[in-house]
Amino acid sequence: MIDIIVFLVLLTLGYGFGRWAEKRHFASIIEREELLRGLLTFSGRIPPQGLGPVDAVLVGGNVVISIDYFKRISATLRSLIGGRVMAYESLLERARREAILRMKQEAFDSGASHVINVKLETASISKGRGQQVGSVEVYAYGTALIAQTA
Amino acid sequence: MTEYSNPQIPEGINVSSEHPLKDFFLMLSGIGIALVLAITLLSMFAQQLVRFIPFEVEQTLAANLGQWQLDRSDTEPLDEEGTAANLTDDEIALAQSNREKEAYNRRVKTYLQQLGNQLLVNTTDPLPVALHYIDSDMVNAFATLGGHIFVSRGLLSILPDENSLAMVLAHEIAHVQHRDPIVALGRGLTLGLALMCITGNGDGAMAQQLLGEVNLLVGLRFSRDAETAADQAALESLLQHYGHVASADQLFQYLRQHQGDELLEWFSTHPLHDQRIAMIDQFAAKHRVAQMDTTALPAWLQLSVHRAD
Repeated sequence: MIDIIVFLVLLTLGYGFGRWAEKRHFASIIEREELLRGLLTFSGRIPPQGLGPVDAVLVGGNVVISIDYFKRISATLRSLIGGRVMAYESLLERARREAILRMKQEAFDSGASHVINVKLETASISKGRGQQVGSVEVYAYGTALIAQTA
Repeated sequence: MTEYSNPQIPEGINVSSEHPLKDFFLMLSGIGIALVLAITLLSMFAQQLVRFIPFEVEQTLAANLGQWQLDRSDTEPLDEEGTAANLTDDEIALAQSNREKEAYNRRVKTYLQQLGNQLLVNTTDPLPVALHYIDSDMVNAFATLGGHIFVSRGLLSILPDENSLAMVLAHEIAHVQHRDPIVALGRGLTLGLALMCITGNGDGAMAQQLLGEVNLLVGLRFSRDAETAADQAALESLLQHYGHVASADQLFQYLRQHQGDELLEWFSTHPLHDQRIAMIDQFAAKHRVAQMDTTALPAWLQLSVHRAD
């Protein structure tokens, strides 16, 4: 009985806080993406033509986001029947966009106008006990192009 | 530069706008229904198949699993011999009273066994039962694997006559004849295994859980139908043995009056239903005869089992 109560409390807490955090995060992501819209990012390796002389600097942004209890249970249930693991999809979407944003912020701070050759790396961490994925890391990196002023 | 641009990507491509709770409860109810169905089916299969286990195998199983719980007075000799020289008078007196107690317990056991055998006389091809006496204040009687039936001192002390004791014995004997203990165990083990498979407990946890099930030998739960069937069989057997069923409901009357008494363990393994009492009364009314004399318990038993309160 006590197990069930603990489980339900964890589930409710996980859902409440997880959903609140996710809502806030998405709002913040959308807002900052709008701010940095002027800074163009491409996965292509070749710089756009007509830029003039530029300096190239490595920029990167990295983020780790933990899943909440509700997402874990939801994903466990999903793993029994298959299908879209929506609980994790939103998590990874947040991580990707946040990592790119942090990379762009770094590029913006160094006065870049473009970031080319953007790549993403992901890793799941704290995977040890019971093969449960605890949190996910996304690292975005690229080459910032800074126009030479002289 | 036209091929190089960062258009605004619409929201909701990677993230579904569906409410997570809706998804969660759909999955939960779907899996829940499937689980309940699977468990019901499994338990039905287990109940049917387990009856094909020969009674001899059940007896061996009980001997292997339940050695620790059979009364030791049957097998272990008392070890007070040989060291008598070092004993004080008190210790000798204690050993003396222990010996008397052992002898008394054996006498009760023999009496219970005889009564049980008498109740079985009219049964064709009966499965053998072994009766045991527990020296405990708990009001309890139960049947377990291998035809072992346990009756406590507490229970004997509240029964007014032999007829009411025979009713309890016949009820537990009926459980053995109907093979309810192995059915209950089979069902319990199957469900335990099924749950372990689903929750994915490791090997160690699995072994521990199975051991936990074995510990339940003492508290095997029988279904309500099994209890009713055992009552019915017990009444028939009482009717054949005594020619009437007077006093059959004595224990139920006592239980009804003393509800909530923590010593009444019988409650936990044999839930009391008004329906059951009504059935006994109905049976009694149908088989009412002029001569309804009850048989008294043997004098030596009656005197010594009386509870201190």
